[in-house]
Amino acid sequence: MRVIGALWLRNVRLFARNRVQLLLLFIMPFFYLYLLSAIFKSTSVSQPIPYVLAGIVMIVVFQTSLNIATSTIEDIVSGYMKEVLVSPVRRISIVVGQILSSTTVAAFQAFLILAVGYALGLTYTSMVTPIAIAGFVVLAGLVFSSFGLWLAASVRNSQTFQIVSVAVTTPITFLCGVYVPLSLLPEGLQTAALLNPMTYAAAFFRALSLEKLSLPADELVAEQLAFRFHGVLITPVTGLIILAVFGLICAMLSAIAFTRADFSAMNRSAIQKDVFQQ
Amino acid sequence: MTDPIIVVKDLVKRYGSFTAVDHVSFEVERGSIFGFLGPNGAGKSSTIHALCTISGYASGVLTIDGIDVGRDKDGARSRIGVVFQDCTLDPKMTVDENLHMHGCFYGMPKALIRERSRFVLELVDMTDWRKAMAGSLSGGMKRRVEIARSLMHMPQVLFLDEPTTGLDPRTRAEMWAYIDKLRRERGITVFLTTHYMDEAEICNRIAIIDKGKIVALDSPSSLKKRYAADKATIASRDPEALEKLLERHGMSYASAGADGDYLIQVEDQASLMELISEHRTSIGRMEVSRGTLNDVYLEITGKDIRG
Ligand SMILES: Nc1ncnc2c1ncn2[C@@H]1O[C@H](COP(=O)(O)OP(=O)(O)OP(=O)(O)O)[C@@H](O)[C@H]1O
Ligand SMILES: [Mg+2]
Repeated sequence: MRVIGALWLRNVRLFARNRVQLLLLFIMPFFYLYLLSAIFKSTSVSQPIPYVLAGIVMIVVFQTSLNIATSTIEDIVSGYMKEVLVSPVRRISIVVGQILSSTTVAAFQAFLILAVGYALGLTYTSMVTPIAIAGFVVLAGLVFSSFGLWLAASVRNSQTFQIVSVAVTTPITFLCGVYVPLSLLPEGLQTAALLNPMTYAAAFFRALSLEKLSLPADELVAEQLAFRFHGVLITPVTGLIILAVFGLICAMLSAIAFTRADFSAMNRSAIQKDVFQQ
Repeated sequence: MTDPIIVVKDLVKRYGSFTAVDHVSFEVERGSIFGFLGPNGAGKSSTIHALCTISGYASGVLTIDGIDVGRDKDGARSRIGVVFQDCTLDPKMTVDENLHMHGCFYGMPKALIRERSRFVLELVDMTDWRKAMAGSLSGGMKRRVEIARSLMHMPQVLFLDEPTTGLDPRTRAEMWAYIDKLRRERGITVFLTTHYMDEAEICNRIAIIDKGKIVALDSPSSLKKRYAADKATIASRDPEALEKLLERHGMSYASAGADGDYLIQVEDQASLMELISEHRTSIGRMEVSRGTLNDVYLEITGKDIRG
């Protein structure tokens, strides 16, 4: 427990000491505020703010979680991970500490954006909704942080990682229905979107914040909050389960990577090798 | 060996098809200083990585303090302290924070962490820098902090992979004085790799490893006796007579330099004494020097250590 706390504090501190990151954290909500009010004026969608806001919150949670979790790659490259791994700290504590810290930062940023949305006139009919939203933001943060950590622990090389990171985040953010509605995508990409855990995160979060979880199935599908795949209905709740399972698998894979992988020769040879590979 | 704390049997470590450590076996006596010498790429760091649990190995049995390193990793981890060859400080945290995290990792209580970090920083003379970011320190200072950090939890075995590279001579001497004190007072075992022969000289035992294989394993004095003969340099006014004498005594020699100095291998002191007394009227200058570890090293590995 104490180690988890210490690692958490260290990572949050590390984040807070990076001025640019910190500045972005606070500027982003205002950027979205501007974006949203522009959309609000020009669109005729019913409930435009909650709709757009929900998508944006999920994207932000995804990106921030992934960014902070993958900063583990810096610890691996700087050699610091060797100091951590040679100590008797349980590997699972390392994984949990890293995941919790990136979740913290991501959730904090999501709450800032939601606060901005609230100032813009976002309201909920039920008192339970804001609590459920907070809970889901944290869950999504945990899932995407686990994913990021697993990526970092498996790649373990900063140059390769930059390529992998772009190759992974681009399809995940564009094939989830936040920027482009899924119905506008060609058939193949629609199927691909259904393999994307982000699709379910965004759909569930929308259903939750629009308070539409209890709509009948057909209406959910029509609003792209649920999906039909070869006749099988994937409700928001099924999506939630898919998301949670995905996160759990990623966390387990990271724990395995930290137990098994050879971190002994990171800084020197990883860099040398890359020079020859390119 | 009466009480070995580290036992390595038939360690093999491969990177792909390349064998970096090839059936290495040795034991380290509890409370001793063990030196691991060898050319660059010989497999020293690879052996340390396997021993301190952060890399796997193809085969072999490694035990530390009776604990099988392959089976009970955490048991082994809690008994050792390591200073790796490459810096492993957390660059964006202060020196104090680095030490504090280390204490947390090893389950030390808060008060002890505070007391120890003050003590170890004093030791490496870095107290004034405790609020500095580790990444902003000079190379030698980083090294000092790393050594301090490895001592935080008072490990039973201390692995030092080229610990004094980049340290100024004074810090180097102080560090060794302290490590030796720790060894005497607390019975800490030190496993070190180095390219400095004067550091190797303080080891109780030395292993020389070349291309993944141990090629010599003994105490410095035995190694010197075996591989590094004493040398005599004699400048003679009558080289012909000297050469005759040398041949009669069966001593191997080489004439070195333009000034006609003779470099003589001394296998036994008695015949050297005889030779000197027979030749004394013609000797211009002479010097007898003991064999050094550097000679041992060169003899065994056939390469210059610093080149
Ligand atoms: N991660 C790695 N991948 C591939 N080969 C490696 C790796 N680490 C080490 N080697 C190889 O294994 C051999 C032994 O390396 P090692 O680092 O153990 O040498 P060393 O004795 O510590 O040398 P030095 O005195 O330079 O520190 C070298 O030939 C090196 O190229
Ligand atoms: Mg080495």
